[in-house]
Amino acid sequence: MRVRSRLGHAAYGGFVVLVYAFLLTPLVIVVVASFNSGNYLTFPPEGFSIRWYAKFFDSDAFMGSLFYSLQLAALCTLFATVLGTGIALYTVRFAGRLREQIRLLVLLPLLLPEILTAIALLFFYYNIEDVFDWAGTSVGFRNSFWGLLIGHVLVTLPFVFLSISAALHNFDRSLEEAARSLGADRYVTFRRITLPIIKPGIISGALLAFIISFDLFNISLLLKGIGTATLPIQLFDYVRWDFDPTAAAVSTVSILVTVAVLVIVQRLVGLQSLRF
Amino acid sequence: MSTATRPARAGAWLLAAPALGLLTAFLVLPYLNMVVMSFRTPSTSNVFAPGFTIANYVDVLGDEDLYYLKILWETLSLGFVTTLICLVLGFPLAYHLARSRSRWSALLYAFVLSPLLVGVVVRCYGWIIILANNEGLINSSLRQLGWIETYIPLMYNWVGVTIGLVHIFLPFMILPITAAIQSIDPRLEEAARSLGASRLTAIRRTVLPLAVPGIQAGSILVFVLTISSYVIPVLLGGFNVVLMPTLVVQQLLDAMLWPFGAALAFVLAIAGTVVVWLYLVLTNRLIRGVTG
Repeated sequence: MRVRSRLGHAAYGGFVVLVYAFLLTPLVIVVVASFNSGNYLTFPPEGFSIRWYAKFFDSDAFMGSLFYSLQLAALCTLFATVLGTGIALYTVRFAGRLREQIRLLVLLPLLLPEILTAIALLFFYYNIEDVFDWAGTSVGFRNSFWGLLIGHVLVTLPFVFLSISAALHNFDRSLEEAARSLGADRYVTFRRITLPIIKPGIISGALLAFIISFDLFNISLLLKGIGTATLPIQLFDYVRWDFDPTAAAVSTVSILVTVAVLVIVQRLVGLQSLRF
Repeated sequence: MSTATRPARAGAWLLAAPALGLLTAFLVLPYLNMVVMSFRTPSTSNVFAPGFTIANYVDVLGDEDLYYLKILWETLSLGFVTTLICLVLGFPLAYHLARSRSRWSALLYAFVLSPLLVGVVVRCYGWIIILANNEGLINSSLRQLGWIETYIPLMYNWVGVTIGLVHIFLPFMILPITAAIQSIDPRLEEAARSLGASRLTAIRRTVLPLAVPGIQAGSILVFVLTISSYVIPVLLGGFNVVLMPTLVVQQLLDAMLWPFGAALAFVLAIAGTVVVWLYLVLTNRLIRGVTG
């Protein structure tokens, strides 16, 4: 009986280790392949080389899309954080009977498949352009940076909202009341009491928005402008036809961006505060 | 007091207005517009012609060879298979993560999160390096060992797509189940074991029924993500695996048949919603059976 149970336990442990390995393997493989000198990753690897990185940094297409993605993600983070903080404060503090409906509306981009939202925006940009053309002006959301940015803000907004809402829920309101009773007005109370307390929620929400925007694919595929591509789109176009390890170097840099953001989260507020 | 709170409430609208404005203008309106688009008349010279029709839906559902319905069925089947595999792989891992007392548990949590935070194209590329038919890591290694002559087809078929989908969506199964198990009192299992149940029986009779809400959430997430995924089937399936999202994007970007593409997307969305609803009805009955 005890032998059987111990065997079962070992089998369970082995299974769990295998699943963890399954989750990590492709990421480790990409990093290994990017430093491998050969055209293909073989076992054992052929030798250490940074030539794929050199090829990446020499490529105008890849470097251009890297900076384009970083810019887009930075602006998206800014807008999503400001809008998300406002709507989270409103929903938790002030919303009355409509609270649940507002929550649902803000979470909708998360609940609807991203590809459907992308399609809806593609049609919408085209149709409103028609209307504005008819009125004699051109808005130009279609195939533009701003149209793409709006798509990214929509998709990242729920993450910021969830993160800040959680911070506001775990909040001791008596601290604010104390400040008010000591003579602070609403704005001083907000700046000196509320903001510092919900800051971890804002930071983790903002950094999550950055990572998600940086990696977003479907929205970018359908809304990208002509001649401009984000890094995931550029990488997608590349690996569709060509498996050479330049893609591995690009992927590793993209992983590094994520890791850098995670390290910042861990330093500032702790990884546990990342919520999905 | 009421006079003191009134200005706060009046000003509070300003906090919500930008986000609500954005969501109304660029989410609600576009979705309504997409419904309209699916009823527009197709055109060969423009993206649509004036007037409205139900012909797009008739074309999707009434195709003579049942081509679109066949692809819909294949897409939904792939959703079932991926969800089932994710559940089988994810539940033991979620249990381990939820009950882990080790100081490594934060690191394990990061392991589970890590695939989620890396772009889907990067993760697919990782699988391409491993699975590629001629020069992939597995095939080249097996050839070097002399176990195979040419290659085992691991990519550009359903095998590769399923592996990619399971890998990429597994965290969405693990995280809700972990949260559900964490909220179950471990003493329940201890009680079951002290009454003579084996470890497996204790889990099956106490943890599993109480974790059903987490399993529900995880399954729905994985299913919906799978049937609406585009990148993974394209990169790992090539031209050999055609699913609904691939078809929709082809209609929109290559063929420029927008009304038809919109109708295709809605047929998929409605079919997916029906499946999720049926699943909820069935599993809720299961929960009532456990607690009632």
